[in-house]
Amino acid sequence: MDQAKTTRTVVVTNRAGLHLRAALQIFQLVREFSVEIELVVDRQRAKATDMLQIVALGASQGTEVTLEAAGPEADAALDALASLFAAGFHEEDS
Amino acid sequence: MKFMDFISPQAIRADLTAGDKPGVVREMVQALLDAGAIDPGDMESIVKAIMNREELGSTGIGRGVAVPHAKHASVDRLVGTVAVSREGVDFDSLDGEKVYVLFLLVSPLDRPGDHLRALENIARQLRDDRFCRFLKQAKTAEEIRQLLEEADANQFGG
Repeated sequence: MDQAKTTRTVVVTNRAGLHLRAALQIFQLVREFSVEIELVVDRQRAKATDMLQIVALGASQGTEVTLEAAGPEADAALDALASLFAAGFHEEDS
Repeated sequence: MKFMDFISPQAIRADLTAGDKPGVVREMVQALLDAGAIDPGDMESIVKAIMNREELGSTGIGRGVAVPHAKHASVDRLVGTVAVSREGVDFDSLDGEKVYVLFLLVSPLDRPGDHLRALENIARQLRDDRFCRFLKQAKTAEEIRQLLEEADANQFGG
């Protein structure tokens, strides 16, 4: 991503962490926006559109995730993504 | 978490014969049963739980790999197996590609951390193209087991 990045820090709130269904929701949400987003945990990076990379972060409940976005809809996408994290990916047992 | 912490070596299959999603899931759960990792009375209910989970969104995560899984009250620790399909199986993957390597996981009801660490390990190892390619090309269960052990010993990039 060469363009200017907008960043946001969120926390994994759901009990199960960033497992496959959460990764799928991130993927589905991000592809609705004209944006490129990466999730960063410590020094590990994952493209928001690559479920394998997201799951490889191994982010459990309570983990801080930095979202880095670039693109015309960066702010809107980050708002939506931050809401999704805050809602615990709408999981019943979160 | 390493592969050998949750993969039952006796349940590894290099030659899945089923040609569709329900078929390969059943074949892999049968392999867990044959390996003594699950009880015969729980087989149908485990297959159903895994298929119900697939309804929520395919576990075909790209790169020709799927991770069908479910929680089930009958297991008291995470159990799993890995299998290769020579022909490939349509798994409704996000990238639309067939699946050739499958990791099937059955988790206890209340152990989300173990499931996440197993997924993390699978995903990290699969980022290595050689590991992915070698798995797809494995001809025998023994070859697959050796690949997993090499991955556990950090022989790949993961």
